[in-house]
Amino acid sequence: MPIISATNLQKRYGALEAVRGVSFEIESGACVGLLGPNGAGKTTTMRMLMGLTRLSGGELKLFGRPVDGVARERRARIGLVPQDDNLDPDLSVSQNLHIYGRYFCVPEAELSKRVPQLLAFMQLEERGDSRVMQLSGGMKRRLTIARSLIANPDLIILDEPTTGLDPQARVLIWRRLLDLKREGKTLLLTTHYMDEAQRLCDRIIIIDGGEILAEGAPTDLIDRFVKGHVFEVQKPIPDGLLVGPAEYEDIGDSILFYTATPSQFAGGLPAGATYIHRAANLEDVFLRLTGRSLREG
Amino acid sequence: MLRTQPFNRYTWAVWRRQALVWRQLIWSSMATNVANPLLFLFAFGYGLGAVIDRIAGLSYLEFVVPGMMAYSAMFASSFETTISAYARFDLQRTWDAILATPVALSELLLGETVWAATKGMLSAISVLVVGWIWGGVPSTGGALLSLPVVALACLCFAACGLAATAHARSWEFFSYFFTFWVTPMFIFCGTFFEIDRFPSFVQWLAWLLPMSHTIAIVRPLMTGLPLDEGMAVIHIAYLLALTIAAFLLSVHRIGRRMFD
Repeated sequence: MPIISATNLQKRYGALEAVRGVSFEIESGACVGLLGPNGAGKTTTMRMLMGLTRLSGGELKLFGRPVDGVARERRARIGLVPQDDNLDPDLSVSQNLHIYGRYFCVPEAELSKRVPQLLAFMQLEERGDSRVMQLSGGMKRRLTIARSLIANPDLIILDEPTTGLDPQARVLIWRRLLDLKREGKTLLLTTHYMDEAQRLCDRIIIIDGGEILAEGAPTDLIDRFVKGHVFEVQKPIPDGLLVGPAEYEDIGDSILFYTATPSQFAGGLPAGATYIHRAANLEDVFLRLTGRSLREG
Repeated sequence: MLRTQPFNRYTWAVWRRQALVWRQLIWSSMATNVANPLLFLFAFGYGLGAVIDRIAGLSYLEFVVPGMMAYSAMFASSFETTISAYARFDLQRTWDAILATPVALSELLLGETVWAATKGMLSAISVLVVGWIWGGVPSTGGALLSLPVVALACLCFAACGLAATAHARSWEFFSYFFTFWVTPMFIFCGTFFEIDRFPSFVQWLAWLLPMSHTIAIVRPLMTGLPLDEGMAVIHIAYLLALTIAAFLLSVHRIGRRMFD
């Protein structure tokens, strides 16, 4: 049974259609990445899952039940790591966890045990008495993740968990997310880091303009949309190359050719052509599907 | 709109969060909510008390203690659900964080309202104790009897403040709230003078404000002046109705702002 089953989700803000007919399922124990440019509808979709934004249309089932009327149970089983930091600045680090646990009615004795465990899990045990203001960006993120785990949720929704963090902090968060996955938690995350998505996610959903563009395992998407290999050939492009069988995309100074048969393609390039050959990655898929023009917002 | 019982364990969790923060910042809270009204009390008790001989058959101190008690309750409750609550709503996003837990919006807002009323009561009781020690409370029994009425008034002021917060789009909005809501209640509702000293249209406006109804019950109880029981029922009914209306409006309005 899927943990999330979304059918034709829609969200309108006045005339703006933020989400227009998104359908997907997430099975228990999976780690799914929701990717899309700014304004694609990722955060709105996550807020709809949490019941923090009303649906304008569509149907949503969580844990096998329609969401109407089970708001409390749904939130009790989901941990949310929102994009914008909303830790409680009036409280210390460990109070942030303890007080948050009370909102879930976790018994006090249980909280007294769980708070130090979570601080240790996110390597914050030295900072229990610090004020939130005194934490670095990475520590705040780690604390927000720890907070999302306070009621031992089945599903964890993470909206850009590593945006703006240094590589060390990102690696620690990745390790912890993989630990959670191993424990059998279901993870749904958004990120702008394609290497992160490729590393963590079993399945990727690419969304833009409020619609799903593609969905599948990272390697499947790479094979399907960018053929596994990329040749970036500098302009001027030798005659005849553009009529060949390889799919290509003009990116300005050079042209990207996507091919599943790299040695054959390289053999067809004329001597003297300037090019870079590399394995295709999720970033190629993402840019190919969502376009290269800059998004504002 | 309110699908669950009014004050449940989720509301209690919100109340406890507020109490914890208050305990940590106790000295600045005390300065605002206890010292401030006491300064007013001393200023008016001594200053005006020397000029005014008797008012409504009472010494000026006896007259002003119930007024100051109601004023301090009003100010503390109103401040908590406006300036403080708006910070948690808009600036700190504390409400966003809480609503991602099993706590429902109505429970969150009730927790805020009851907490604000608690602060109002602490303020009111401080004024009462000092006024009593100072000899400005002729009827101790009446003063104790007035406390439940002050508690209801605190809930009413808190709910009205919350309704303002529900409509606030920026901090500037609260300058209107304080100028056209809090200050008139301070000046026109019988805190320092009897309402009937004002022109009739001011009196008419004053009776729209919950402060007038609060003082109209609290002052007779604390001073031993005669209290018309029929009128007392009307005052209480007005406070109760306004509390419920303001609270429901807040839940509706904030729900639309947060979830739509």
